[in-house]
Amino acid sequence: MDFQQYQREFTAHIRDPRNVSRPKGVPARLMKVYNGLLYNNMEGFLLSCFPVCRKILGKRRWDRVVRAFFRDHVSHTPYFRQIPEEFLKYLQAEWEHPDDIPAFLPELAHYEWVELELDTSDRDTNLPAHDPTGDLLAERPLLNPVSRVLAYRWPVHRLSPRFKPSEAPTQPTFALAFRDADMHVRFILINSASARLLNLVQDNPDATGREIVTLLAQEMALSPDVLLGFAHSLMQGFLAQGAILGVRV
Amino acid sequence: MTHPRLSGAGLGFRRDLIPALKSGVPEAIDFFELAPENWIDLGGRYARDLRQFTERHPFVCHGLSLSLGGLTPLDEVLLRKIKAFMAEHRISLYTEHLSYCSDHGHLYDLLPIPPTEEAVKYVAARIRRVQDILEQKIAIENASYYVAAPIGEMDEPTFINAVLQEADCWLHLDVNNIYVNSVNFKFDPVDYLRRMPAERIVYMHMAGHYQEAPDLIIDTHGADVIDPVWQLLDTAYGLLGVHPTCLERDFNIPPLQVLMQEVARIAEIQSNRLKQIERAA
Repeated sequence: MDFQQYQREFTAHIRDPRNVSRPKGVPARLMKVYNGLLYNNMEGFLLSCFPVCRKILGKRRWDRVVRAFFRDHVSHTPYFRQIPEEFLKYLQAEWEHPDDIPAFLPELAHYEWVELELDTSDRDTNLPAHDPTGDLLAERPLLNPVSRVLAYRWPVHRLSPRFKPSEAPTQPTFALAFRDADMHVRFILINSASARLLNLVQDNPDATGREIVTLLAQEMALSPDVLLGFAHSLMQGFLAQGAILGVRV
Repeated sequence: MTHPRLSGAGLGFRRDLIPALKSGVPEAIDFFELAPENWIDLGGRYARDLRQFTERHPFVCHGLSLSLGGLTPLDEVLLRKIKAFMAEHRISLYTEHLSYCSDHGHLYDLLPIPPTEEAVKYVAARIRRVQDILEQKIAIENASYYVAAPIGEMDEPTFINAVLQEADCWLHLDVNNIYVNSVNFKFDPVDYLRRMPAERIVYMHMAGHYQEAPDLIIDTHGADVIDPVWQLLDTAYGLLGVHPTCLERDFNIPPLQVLMQEVARIAEIQSNRLKQIERAA
């Protein structure tokens, strides 16, 4: 249909004003209004989620990345708060990484996005029945569903305009992010064993704390007895902070 | 035509306003309006807060992402989410813009549908489908725009009336958008109002805008309402009847008490008009 052909030309130009000409008969001055409004609107949503990425890239390089995203990415979510997630997917899967942009950008963007995702998540709507006072070793610990165990090659928590490493360190960075009972998102740096323990809790909902520790001990080629005390106090700490909610009943 | 229950003056419900609203919802606010796309599947503190307000105050859903004039099939997943959201929060009215906001993907802003015969049929069929899924009538809002499609076959009031009749839906009349378009495209806003079908109006919108040049206004919802738009609202009430009216403010949001001056002014214009009508009767 003619009107749809016109709409296609109109939006193709908005996505890429430099390379795609505007529909015939549309005044340049008015077309520019749309080009600016739509790009700035999209950029605004990204800016509020990725302030550190923006600061590290500076305006020129940031605009180049956002422009490429706006031009090339096909976003199917009708929800505005998910635009940053679309950007993240783009960085991870579609983007051709230019040489002058730090290699850590996709990981940093992920780290920044986690805060938004946990702040607005509804994964705690139908919580499994649980007892916050139960025995974490004898029973099955319940991880807060509004949490993420994070592993990065880059020290994402330290990146800034003054710290932009070009080589990833040998040690990865592990963190636990979760939304606490007061609905605030918190980040805790953890070591690899703690990260693995939390992953095992997440992946084995039917295992008791003791069984989880046995699994972890096997992976680390240690005796479970050596780990039991460490694992118990770790889980107690997570419980106190709200990253573990208790035990399943 | 039975309209949903709605009255008086309303305010756009935004996260930024929640702290102030928690310490008391001003009397002058008769209803709130929200964009369902910002609240569907939302968890955390804002979702908890929203429930407290929808339990106590009337709300209207004013959508942003349905893309009634869009190129791809209607997003029925979104529609079913909207339906469930409205049931959950007991919201009885849903309105959308007479515009499109996507091509093969979402663009997250409103674009003008070229006013052609084909477009009327296409959009009206989509609105009817929406009404079938929601099992209720919706209202469409006259949008602001900056480019008149060279392939257009009719003026804006003709286009709107044709869609309303073909889809048999309600009208959500944005008074500021009429003013914005009247400056951008040099037409008489009062003549435009006269051509709107009063019996289809469910509610009205008021907002501020940004005057970029003498002949170009951008519909930002980021400033105070200007006097000519207040006058146009009064004229609209005179010509089309006093309808519930909501103030939209999406950027540069001032403290609630400052916004309330504009909500109160809507209520005042409504009450003056109603008194006139009583005296005349």
